[in-house]
Amino acid sequence: MGKKIVGALVVFGVLGGLSAFVYALTNNKMELGYNQGYAPDQPIPFSHELHAGQYKMDCKYCHSNAGQSRHATVPSLNICMNCHMVVKTDSPWIQKITEAYNSGQSVAWEKVHLLPDHVKFNHAAHVLKDKDCQTCHGPVETMPVVYQWSSLSMGWCVNCHRQPENNAPVSCGTCHY
Amino acid sequence: MKESNTQNSNGSSKYWLSLEQWRNDPEFKKMAENEFLSSPLGEDKEGGWARREFLTLMGASMALTTAGCLRRPAQKIVPYAKRPSEIIPGLPNYFASSFSDGVEGFGIVVATREGRPIKIEGNTDHPMNQGGLSARAHSHVLSLYDPDRLTGPRENLLNSEKTNKDTVSISFDNLDKAVVAQLKNSKVALLTAGTTSPSTKALIEDFQKAFSAKHYAWNSASVGTLLDASEKSFGRKGAVPKLALEKAKYVVSVDSDILGTWLSTTQQQADYAKGRNPGEEMSKLVAFESLLSLTGANADQRFRIKPSQQLDVVMGLIHNIVVKNGKSGYASSGTAKELLAPFSAVAASLGLDEMKFHQVAQELWANRGKSVVVAGGLTSQTAQAEKLQSAVNWLNDVLGNDGVTVDYSSGMLSQDSLSDLQKLIADLESGEIKTLIIHGFNPLYSLPESLGLRKSLKDPENTKKEDKKMVIYTGDRNDETGTVANFIAPDDHALEKWGDAEFADGVYSIQQPTVRSLYDTRSFEDSLLKWMKDAGRGGPAVSSADSWYDYLKNNWKNSIQARNRIGIGAQGFEAFWLELLQAGVFDTSNGKNSSARSFRLSALEGATSAAKTDGYELALYETVGLRDGSLANVSWLQEFPDPVTKICWDNYLCVSPADAEKEHIKEGTVVELMVGDQKVSVPAHIQPGQAEGVLGLAVGYGRKGAGKVADGVGVAAWNLASVNNGVLVASGLPATIKVSQKRIPLANVQGHHSMEGRQIVVEQTVAQFMENPQANMHKHKIFSMYPGHKYPGHKWGMVIDQTKCTGCSACLVACQSENNIPVVGKKYVLQGREMHWIRTDRYFVGDPENPDTVYQPLVCQHCDNAPCEAVCPVAATVHSEEGTNDMIYNRCVGTRYCSNNCPYKVRRFNWFNYTKKVRKPENYAMNPEVTVRARGVMEKCTFCNHRIKAAKNQARVKDVVLKDGDVKTACQESCPTKAILFGDLNDAESAVAKEFHNNHNNTYSLLEEWGTYPAVKYKTKVRNTDELKGSHGGHHGGGGHGKSGNDGHGKGGH
Repeated sequence: MGKKIVGALVVFGVLGGLSAFVYALTNNKMELGYNQGYAPDQPIPFSHELHAGQYKMDCKYCHSNAGQSRHATVPSLNICMNCHMVVKTDSPWIQKITEAYNSGQSVAWEKVHLLPDHVKFNHAAHVLKDKDCQTCHGPVETMPVVYQWSSLSMGWCVNCHRQPENNAPVSCGTCHY
Repeated sequence: MKESNTQNSNGSSKYWLSLEQWRNDPEFKKMAENEFLSSPLGEDKEGGWARREFLTLMGASMALTTAGCLRRPAQKIVPYAKRPSEIIPGLPNYFASSFSDGVEGFGIVVATREGRPIKIEGNTDHPMNQGGLSARAHSHVLSLYDPDRLTGPRENLLNSEKTNKDTVSISFDNLDKAVVAQLKNSKVALLTAGTTSPSTKALIEDFQKAFSAKHYAWNSASVGTLLDASEKSFGRKGAVPKLALEKAKYVVSVDSDILGTWLSTTQQQADYAKGRNPGEEMSKLVAFESLLSLTGANADQRFRIKPSQQLDVVMGLIHNIVVKNGKSGYASSGTAKELLAPFSAVAASLGLDEMKFHQVAQELWANRGKSVVVAGGLTSQTAQAEKLQSAVNWLNDVLGNDGVTVDYSSGMLSQDSLSDLQKLIADLESGEIKTLIIHGFNPLYSLPESLGLRKSLKDPENTKKEDKKMVIYTGDRNDETGTVANFIAPDDHALEKWGDAEFADGVYSIQQPTVRSLYDTRSFEDSLLKWMKDAGRGGPAVSSADSWYDYLKNNWKNSIQARNRIGIGAQGFEAFWLELLQAGVFDTSNGKNSSARSFRLSALEGATSAAKTDGYELALYETVGLRDGSLANVSWLQEFPDPVTKICWDNYLCVSPADAEKEHIKEGTVVELMVGDQKVSVPAHIQPGQAEGVLGLAVGYGRKGAGKVADGVGVAAWNLASVNNGVLVASGLPATIKVSQKRIPLANVQGHHSMEGRQIVVEQTVAQFMENPQANMHKHKIFSMYPGHKYPGHKWGMVIDQTKCTGCSACLVACQSENNIPVVGKKYVLQGREMHWIRTDRYFVGDPENPDTVYQPLVCQHCDNAPCEAVCPVAATVHSEEGTNDMIYNRCVGTRYCSNNCPYKVRRFNWFNYTKKVRKPENYAMNPEVTVRARGVMEKCTFCNHRIKAAKNQARVKDVVLKDGDVKTACQESCPTKAILFGDLNDAESAVAKEFHNNHNNTYSLLEEWGTYPAVKYKTKVRNTDELKGSHGGHHGGGGHGKSGNDGHGKGGH
């Protein structure tokens, strides 16, 4: 008897939930979670506007592995310290990073661009084809706080891969394997 | 079994996978018809909810929760504080190292990702394994992450009987204090596995001098018998000779599994394969066997004998050559004739075909100087083992092989002696030796109880505390030996520590750590150094070394370099050392010559012909996967289907089909086996090709305290062995059996995934091949109404050579390691749910009493016209522009239609979240380049898609064009015999394209007539025989199933 009531409740719950879900999606009340515009607070307010914009530092000075590995990699602290051993050492944030560097504890940054586990994106493949970082990451040199500029949805990826001038593969196994 | 021809009871299939199929058993038919052996509706009902209902409920709650929560979880990125310059996140680092597996040695390259080892590959520059690896070498990486390893030193709270398992943690400091005090006050002995490490040997010598200790070594391979025979035969022990199988045109193995378990099998496979090119020069392998071994399965000609008849076979062959045919220098020797007199009618007395036996002797003589006769291994370890080895030495001497194809100058240096071990036990018993340090093996498991080691470790009653014996064990778990040890000072895993090895005389290898010790463990050598230093003893070599690494390096600098006159350049030793670390191997063996030794007939004095035995003879044997049982807790090896029996997760009593019928034994019938006063109950397996009157039982199972995986799997068999005159007797043991009514199902992977007897394996004799490479092959005219796919760039393809494939299945574990393939356990293997992406099908041909065996590795065929792609309702399996058939896990909804429609049965379904059950830290062994699959998803071979991607990335980074050989699949890389070719079929110059696109060679596609156009082709199995056991009548291998075999060909696309 109890099982029947539970079953009925579940059925109604599912139907109600699904209809609400479909309604919200089709009426622009809700977007699927692509995280576009996501701009989390970082433990140290590093400004790309300052480093990449004002000082015109090359992206690959810090994200040095973008041309070799599938990860562009957030720089290890020794890269920061290349300059900040001497630059602006009075800033409390720089002191924080110096402390982390000296203790070997590192800094836990908030991840901004998050792809699902079943997608394999390779930075090197794109960088070596001379794609600008901005093509996907937007005008990072103007961002005091980095945010996710593009949707990073599959449709967004494939749109670009389909352009004949890009001569990019579009088979599923390119990214899903 | 009532008939002895190749026709089974329904007169159809000549190639058969199991006895059930041969008999056309209704159980087999049922199994073959079912794609999946069980229905999810029949799942265990936990808590009253059937699985289906549970899933419905789960689905509902999932739908509700997704609607409410759309933000994905926040993740952190934690970069290195100071990144080591050689580590780039996302790219692997490779370290050259080495791995010792008993007496076998491997040069390995360890792939690490972000500092943790994830895969082991063969070092292509290493003369031992030549780039190939064994299944066990691959498993070495998982044993590093074994959750059952000890995490620190332990002290055992032993009761007087030393039977309890109560241990407490102890610090290394306290352990050292206790051990050093004991070392100073009593006589000490070291008991180790036979090591080939020159530096460890030097350190042990220093330790012996420091404490006037004795050192004893033992290998479960028991090479000591062979060396003793060498001493008797040639006056010198020397080394275990290297078999130059690449030079040999004729190989005779007497119950010696040279391709599976005896000595350097990977090297032997590689060398053997070099002589197996079909043509005039193709070598021939003849096996005299009691059990069916991997070597016998590959033999061109196979004779069945009992273990007690091994000596007769060799002496009979010598008699045939020397006395009957009057050949060789011994023909005029009276002593020789006298020794051979008892063996004048061997063929008749052993029941062998006299013509064929005579032919073997003749062919041996015709190939003198170009042949190899070999015996050895557990199955030839009878009471006569030493005489057998001497007889083999003699036969090789008669044939002029000694020093030519039997090369003792670059032999293996490992030594062991059971009679020495017996002395040690006597000394322990008498209390002469009070301290025993055990390292590198597990004597209380892998030596028979009757040797008396356990008893000798007990103290007499009322022994004063300071007079008590102390056992120090360096094993990594509280196993059989651990439980009798007072202290366990766990050794580092070999991937965590420094080391070196001299696998063969003059072939030096280095072993370097690839990860820092995961736990509070210390290398055995560091322990010895510490104890010597703490006791204030040891020579200058000890005092000048702060650590084992220092000691090792100094030893290389001062000893190995000096001994070998290594030419060190202007940069000095440091530069040489760096080069050595990079290469992993330093080979000084080149240019050494061995010449024939003079054989002493006295070695065979008193050799007698075997008396006829009526009862059963038990032969213990090692399996390719578990060997002596040392890696038993590695789940990959437990689920590794034995290449011969295709059974995993158990050991079993192998009985011949005739004996099974006589004793009313069915597959899995529990049999009580009695040898002397030892008894075990074990399920039986009916093994085609096994000699009548012989029983076979694998060692390596029945572990206690080895861990969650190994404990309780199978029965321990070492105890059935006995000791006779200082020789371990593991074969030819008189045994009796009692058959019970109980049956235990055996997890046999062969029998499902059946291909229904169509043209699957094509066999040819050398003569047929030379006349027409396409002999016995049935070609179909196929056409399609549709245009095929276009492959503008690469088109990946594979060619597998069935003549070269020995069936060793190293590729299976390589694939498992590379592709994060889960282990499912016996229960699910029984339901046909094993997950291996590559399987090696084993087909028998001919009469079950002594069939021929064919191996066929089967991967996803990546068909151009793939049946799976057409039926997927969600397009989760799709064709790529490079010809691979891709499986898109995130699209898959688990209908399993694709698997139903796959004619090759290569698709695997995730019935459960297997990876969630992976115990930490085994998850570290996962390859981050390959998605870990979840429940409800289909998976299969990807042609190592991620390796193709990685190779392309490398080419892009280096700005070069991808060339042939840049992409290697894991199975190809691991194959000891190089039977697998992989590459770009669009590149006309690639090795694989040359084979694949050649319309006149012996390659063919599987089930070609179905029009699937596979991207994998097979080369026929060419045998060096005059006649095939499965001579081809029907062009479909006799397949009588379905219409496709019967209607006309050339009509296309049936």
